[in-house]
Amino acid sequence: MKGMKTELHIFTIADWEKEEQYLRKRHREGWKFVKVNLPGFYHFERCKPEDVVYQLDYNQEGLEHKEEYVQMFKDCGWEYVQDLGGYCYFRKPVSEMQGEEEIFCDDESRLDMMRRVFAGRYWPFFILLMLLILPNLSAQFQNSDADAPVLLVLSLILLAIYVWVAASFGYRYWKIIKRLRK
Amino acid sequence: MDVPARKVHIPMTEAVFYILLCLREESHGYNIIRKVEELTDHEIRISPGTMYGNLSKLEKDGLIQFVREEKKRRIYCITDLGKDVLALEMKRVERLYRNMMEAR
Repeated sequence: MKGMKTELHIFTIADWEKEEQYLRKRHREGWKFVKVNLPGFYHFERCKPEDVVYQLDYNQEGLEHKEEYVQMFKDCGWEYVQDLGGYCYFRKPVSEMQGEEEIFCDDESRLDMMRRVFAGRYWPFFILLMLLILPNLSAQFQNSDADAPVLLVLSLILLAIYVWVAASFGYRYWKIIKRLRK
Repeated sequence: MDVPARKVHIPMTEAVFYILLCLREESHGYNIIRKVEELTDHEIRISPGTMYGNLSKLEKDGLIQFVREEKKRRIYCITDLGKDVLALEMKRVERLYRNMMEAR
């Protein structure tokens, strides 16, 4: 259909800031975010280019009381777009803001959100790693089948991805803590 | 008083201080945001994510309690524990202020 497009873009669980910037950039280019499905299909529709700030919140409790949760953002001028995997997508045009606005106004609450992501998304992910990849790896090492090296390489690649995601999250967490201690 | 509550919440962020201060009267999140704007000459605007997160945390820790719901807005009120913690924080800020004035 004319005036619509879909892009595939994969962000890791700790990359919500990059995702926010990506959506803001598209809106400035005249593509308004409509929805996203897994694993990362972003649907856009043609619009007048505008500077609109996109923000993601991760709040399971908020989603349990969704009406009240969304209402608070609405009262503050933030439009709720959708939620996916515990993340909620909000947006607000810069023209309606008084100065720079974000959905969090202090580092303490930014850190709280990271903690919620950590508890809700990160630990399950980590446990999965321990249960699936590591036993698999050790099994590959002892395996003498012809395709064992292929599987070993695949497992190692997966392991590398997990470690990279873990490290990037840890790094962001550490950066915020450092800023808080200043 | 509950020692953990004191440890976790003192010193307070500005947002938490104003939330407790405002909740000496029943109120909902957006009302508090507007009130704080008034109190601070529009210098402090608590963002909705910060407000929502703090209200849930304060409720969980027993410093405020849910009263009722009105037009999709949750109304809260401070508890006795919340009043105690707020009084302690006020004392801390008073001491800070006193020492600051002496240093001037």
